[in-house]
Amino acid sequence: MKYEEALQQLETITRRMEAGEYSIDELTEQLKNAQKLIKLCRDKLTKTDEEIKKILAKNE
Amino acid sequence: MNTLSLYELNSLVRLTIEQTLNREYWVEAELAEARESRGHCYMELVQKEEGSNTPIARASAKCWRSSWMMIQPHFERVTGQRLHAGMKVRLKVYAQFHEAYGFSWIVTDIDPTFTLGDLARRRQEIIRQLKQEGVFDLQRELQLPLFCLRIAVISSEGAAGYGDFCKQLNESKFAFAAQLFPAVMQGEQTEASIIEALNQIYKSLECRVKSGEFATASESGEWRVESGEFATASESGEWRVKSGEFATAPESGEWRVESGEFATASEGAGQGDAVANSTLYTLHSTLNFDCVVIIRGGGATADMSGFDTLALAENVAQFPLPIITGIGHDRDECVLDMVSHLRVKTPTAAADILINHAQQVLDRIEDNEQRIVLASQNQLSTLNAQLSMLSQRIPPLFSLVRTREEARTQQLLQRMEKACDSRLIRSEAKLSTLSSLLSTLNAQFIVSHRHRLELLSQRLLALDPQRILDRGYSLTLHQGKAVRNASALQAGDELQTRLAEGTVTSVVTYVAMP
Repeated sequence: MKYEEALQQLETITRRMEAGEYSIDELTEQLKNAQKLIKLCRDKLTKTDEEIKKILAKNE
Repeated sequence: MNTLSLYELNSLVRLTIEQTLNREYWVEAELAEARESRGHCYMELVQKEEGSNTPIARASAKCWRSSWMMIQPHFERVTGQRLHAGMKVRLKVYAQFHEAYGFSWIVTDIDPTFTLGDLARRRQEIIRQLKQEGVFDLQRELQLPLFCLRIAVISSEGAAGYGDFCKQLNESKFAFAAQLFPAVMQGEQTEASIIEALNQIYKSLECRVKSGEFATASESGEWRVESGEFATASESGEWRVKSGEFATAPESGEWRVESGEFATASEGAGQGDAVANSTLYTLHSTLNFDCVVIIRGGGATADMSGFDTLALAENVAQFPLPIITGIGHDRDECVLDMVSHLRVKTPTAAADILINHAQQVLDRIEDNEQRIVLASQNQLSTLNAQLSMLSQRIPPLFSLVRTREEARTQQLLQRMEKACDSRLIRSEAKLSTLSSLLSTLNAQFIVSHRHRLELLSQRLLALDPQRILDRGYSLTLHQGKAVRNASALQAGDELQTRLAEGTVTSVVTYVAMP
């Protein structure tokens, strides 16, 4: 999944939560889902950071 | 009248001439012939009618060895020419008549400046004609090709000048290729001989690919006409390769049509098999020349007459390649020099010109090479600097991005937690409201039911028949049902009477109606 896609899904989940569109039963599941997305986004950021550093180090 | 012997008569003529023509005269005449014999010079003088070839005067002239030895070097040094037929001369003569040998003018001096003037006039005439034809400046409009290495040389074979020229070229660091086209460089054959050499060069120029591609594999030295036309201006007509390949072995200089069609202008089109029958076409090992050099060996006498002719000038002027002349002479330039692309004094000077030209081109190439290298290096280092600056800026930039993005997800997470919390709190509140409501409702419900139950039980208690029975009343049943009306009974019916304690069974004997 692309970073932007994940972020968009996160925002959608947040918005729907705030609007109270989820049933109580759905809440837990959506929260788990959101946690997964957040982890994915963070991982991507970390990985990108590392790669940039690696690539630049190679060029020098 | 006395009859004289021939000797007596001739003596008379001699005496008369000696008495009347007893001094020296300057005479202008044209040489019909001039030859040397045993150190003496014998000439035939002629004067032609203006504008025609008809002689109107003719005489023999002699220059004795003693005079000729003095006159000849001076004359040739000044005019650059030997005495030859067709030359206009101014001679200092005295008359001599010999009884046995007849009349002759004895030459004691020749005025070279007169001949020089005449030659100049003729040269001017040739120049005028060349200008009129519009060819006088053609050579100077040509340019030496940048890579001027293949040189067609017109010179006499074995001449020292040609040797010097080749030596000079060979000792240079450039790969000059000189090919000699031998010609006679002095005397009457000069003109025709040089023109013939030029024609030879011209023919070899024609052996070239007129259109199309020309490729060579440098290792094998094989030339290939990949497509296009190939034509020679040989006398047999134009050869045209319509398609196909040409190959040559560089040693033999032979061209071979390996496959393909060819056609001649004279015979029409032929197919590949016709080629197979006559496989080899010797064209020229050198496809082209870059320039022509006309040089004359050193040490030759200064006979320049062959270089001052209209036909030669026309040929040189209109030649398609630049022509450099190095025909070595001290006096004013000759017509050949004037129409050529470039003139120098000696063959070695001609070689120097070519070497300098090549050196200039090489310098230019090397200069450009250096500039290209410098410019590339500069640009590369600039770009490198820019790149490293950019690459240094990337990590901080990205860490900004990362921080921002992390804050964003963090914010989302907080919002989600908050949303969840508030949702749960609301739900719990609702639940507790409901449960308290439920308990209240339940209590009320139970109380009211209890009350109702109480009432009911009281009412039920009040209705209990046992209590009436206890008070002394009884209950009469007929067939299990309470008897309320006597009319429902008949005599003989069996009745059961329930008392407070126990039951009595009786039979009806009489029914009294109310």
